Amino acid sequence: MSVNVSDATRDDAATRVVLTGFGVFSSIGVGADEFAEGLRAGRSGAKPITLFDTEGFAHANGCEITGAEPERWIHNLPTETLGRATQFSVAAARMAVEAAGADLDDLRARRGMISIGTTDGESYELDHLVGTEVASGPQAMDPTVARRVYPNRLSVAAAQELGLSNVEAVTIATACSAGNYAIGQGFDAIRSGEVDYALCGGADAMCRKTFTGFYRLGTIAPDVCRPFDVDRKGILTGEGAGVLMLESLASARARGARIYAEVLGYGMNCDAYHQVAPNQDSVARCMEIALENAGVKASEVDLISAHGTGTKANDVTESRAIHDVYGDTVPRTVSLKSMLGHTMGAASALAAIACALSIHHGFIPPTINHRETDPECEIDCVPNQSVEADLRIVQNNGLAFGGNNAIVILGKYQEGVR
Amino acid sequence: MTLSASAPATTTRPVITAWSAVSPYGIGKDSFAAGVLAGQDTSAPLDSGQWAAPDSHACLIPGFELREVLGKKGTRSMDRVTGLAVTAVRDLLRDSGDRRTASDEETALVLGTTTGSAQSMMDFTRASLEGDKPFYVDPSLMPNAVMNCAAGQCAIWHNLKGPNTTIAGGRVAGLSALSYAAGLLASGRARTVLSGAAEEFSNARAWLDHHRRGEDGADALLGEGCAMFMLESADPADAADRALAEVLAVQSRVYFDDDPGEALAACVDGVLRRGGVDRDDVWAVSTSAPAGNAGTREREVLTARFGAQVLDRAPSMSAVGDTAAASAAFQIGSLLAAAEQSAVPAGAVALVSSVDDNGVVACAALRLSAR
Repeated sequence: MSVNVSDATRDDAATRVVLTGFGVFSSIGVGADEFAEGLRAGRSGAKPITLFDTEGFAHANGCEITGAEPERWIHNLPTETLGRATQFSVAAARMAVEAAGADLDDLRARRGMISIGTTDGESYELDHLVGTEVASGPQAMDPTVARRVYPNRLSVAAAQELGLSNVEAVTIATACSAGNYAIGQGFDAIRSGEVDYALCGGADAMCRKTFTGFYRLGTIAPDVCRPFDVDRKGILTGEGAGVLMLESLASARARGARIYAEVLGYGMNCDAYHQVAPNQDSVARCMEIALENAGVKASEVDLISAHGTGTKANDVTESRAIHDVYGDTVPRTVSLKSMLGHTMGAASALAAIACALSIHHGFIPPTINHRETDPECEIDCVPNQSVEADLRIVQNNGLAFGGNNAIVILGKYQEGVR
Repeated sequence: MTLSASAPATTTRPVITAWSAVSPYGIGKDSFAAGVLAGQDTSAPLDSGQWAAPDSHACLIPGFELREVLGKKGTRSMDRVTGLAVTAVRDLLRDSGDRRTASDEETALVLGTTTGSAQSMMDFTRASLEGDKPFYVDPSLMPNAVMNCAAGQCAIWHNLKGPNTTIAGGRVAGLSALSYAAGLLASGRARTVLSGAAEEFSNARAWLDHHRRGEDGADALLGEGCAMFMLESADPADAADRALAEVLAVQSRVYFDDDPGEALAACVDGVLRRGGVDRDDVWAVSTSAPAGNAGTREREVLTARFGAQVLDRAPSMSAVGDTAAASAAFQIGSLLAAAEQSAVPAGAVALVSSVDDNGVVACAALRLSAR
C-alpha cells in the first residue's frame, strides 16, 4: 500500500476538512433547516412545470422552485445581471456563509475557493435567447440576457456578491456529478494548504433544452420519480442549488463553529465507455477509489446516497455496482431524487448536504413514491418513511453523462477520532 | 499498486512534457509555433454561404472538416468543439510518443471551456421550438448540448479513465485547468494530466458575443482552437529531463466594479511569491489583451511592474483573434514556441496573464527549459 502524504498528517487539525454551514435552494425547502424537515418528512417537489411552455408534451411534471426569492440573499449585485442558475448559486453561497457563522471580513483576509458545479450553466437564459431568435431573428436578442449566459458567472458572481477577491472562483461543468467534483476540489485545496476555506456546491435552473432531451430519450417519468421501483419510468427534471462551507478542523475550532460532518475523502474516474450509458465496472471502481481515499472499509459505511435517477438503466447499473463493491452486506441505499427530482449540477451537492444533515440529526431520508423494489436492484431503499439512525459514515454517489463519476465520503465528526 | 487515489502525493512542481495545438494556423503545434512567432495574420472574410454570423471576418482553423480530420467513424453527431478537443488530445498523445508512463486510470483530462458548444445547446432548443412536436429533436445530439461532452468524448476516443474534468472558465479557462491539473498531481489523484482548453467558432457564439460586448468592443475579431499540455510530476528524473517548462505557480482572483487592475496586480504578486520568483527574473509576460478597458488595464498594470520590453518578448496573440476559452492555453503554447528559439536564456521565467471581463483574472509562472 503506497503512502499518501496526507495519511501521515491526518490527525492534524489543519488537514481534516469539516462542513460548517449550508446554503440550500430546493423544491422541498430553502435553507438547511427547512431542507432537513423536508427530507425527514419525505416531501415531494413534483408539480407541473410552469417555467417554460410545455404545450405538446404528453406529460410535464418537474421539481421547480416556486416562491423561493433568491434575491433576498443578494444585496450587492443587480439581479437583472444574473441568470436564474447564477441567482441560486449566489444566494446559496451567502446563505452558507451566514449559516456557518463566518465573518466576511475574516474571510476576505484569507485565501479561499468558490467552486460551483453545473450541468447546464445558464441554458435557461439561452433558451430565452433562442425563443427571441426564432420569433424575431438573432439581431433581436436582449443584450442583458446575452451577458447572463456565461457559466463562469455561477462562481465569480458569488465571490463578487460576497466581496471576496482573494479567491479561486471555478465553475465545474461536469454535468450531473459536478457538485461532488466541486466538493472534492475544495477538500484537496484545504488539505494542501492552498486555501483556508472553500464554498463548494452546485447550481442549475430547469430548462427546456434538458427537459426536451430527456423526454425524447423516453426518460421523463409521467408523474413522479420512483427510484429502484419495479415500475420506475424515469426522472423528473429539477432545479436548485446547494453550497457547503468547507474549512479545516483547525479553522472551525478556532471560531467555535458548529460542525455538521467531516469530509473523509472522495474519488473520481471516467468510464471512457459511452456518452450517456453508465458502466457498472467503472462506477464500482469509483466507489473503491473514494473509499480508499477516505481510508474507509466498505463494511464501515452506514448509508449510500445513490445517484438514483429513477431510470431503468441507471438504477440497475448503479445497484449492481454497489453489490460488486459491498458484496452481500449492502448498506441502506436511498435516492433523494425521489423528492428533489434531478437537479443536475446541484444534485450531488444537495445530496451531500442531505447526507451531512442526516449524520448530524441522526436519520435516514426515505426514497419516496416507492411501491415495489425492482428485484434486479436488490437494495433496501428505505421506502417512503424516514428512519432514525446513528450514521457514522455515508457515501454520496454522483454519476454523469460522459462517464464522469465522482463519489464523496462523509463521516460523523468525532473529536480526536476518525 | 496502481490505484490513482493512492498514488504518492507529490510536493514538487509539475512539468509540461508535451503539447499540441489546433489553431487558426492549422492542425499541429509546429504550424502554430511558426505562425505565432512570425505574427502571421489569420483573419479572413467569413464565407456567408457557410456562416450566418454578425461578423465580417474571423480567425478560423483552415481545413478543419471533422470527418476529414478524424475519419467518418464516430463523428456523425460530433460537434466542432468536441472535434477540436479530440484532435488536440490525439496529437498530444502522439507528441508524447511512448514516453507516457501512467496507465489509463492514472491519466486525467482537464478541459477548459466557455460554455461548451453554445451552438449545440441553442440548436437543440431551436429544434424543440420549431419542430412539429416539441420533442422532435435528434436524441443523438443531446450529449453535445451538455458542457462536458468534449471531455467525455476525449476520454472515449483515447481511453482516458482517470479524473475527467470540464472547467467553464471563460478566458482564464486554460489557467484554471492548469491549476486544477496541478492539484490532481499534488494530491496523487493522477500521475499524468492532459490539460488545456478549447473554443469553437459558431454563429451562436458570434451572436452572443456581439450582443454581450455592445458598442464597446464592436470591432472584436473571433478566433478558435484548442491547445493541450501533458502535465507530469517532476519527481521521476526522466520527467524532469523531458520537461519543456516547469509550472512554478498558478493563481486566480476575482475583481469588482469592472476594473481588473488591482486584482491582477495582487494575483501576479501572489504567483511570484508562491513561485519563488524575483520580479527581475521575469523574462517575458504574455498578456491576454481582451478588447476594451479590461485589456487596457491589463497592459498598464503589467507594464508598470515589468516594463514594456518584457511584455513585448512574448509573442503577440492578436493575429489569431479572440480565442476566448482557448486564449490562455494558446498563450502558454506561444511561450513554449518562443522557448524553442535560441534567444531565450536558460531557465527563463515567463508569466501568463489572463483577464476575463466577467470578473476574474489569473496568472501562471512557468520556468522555460533550455533547449
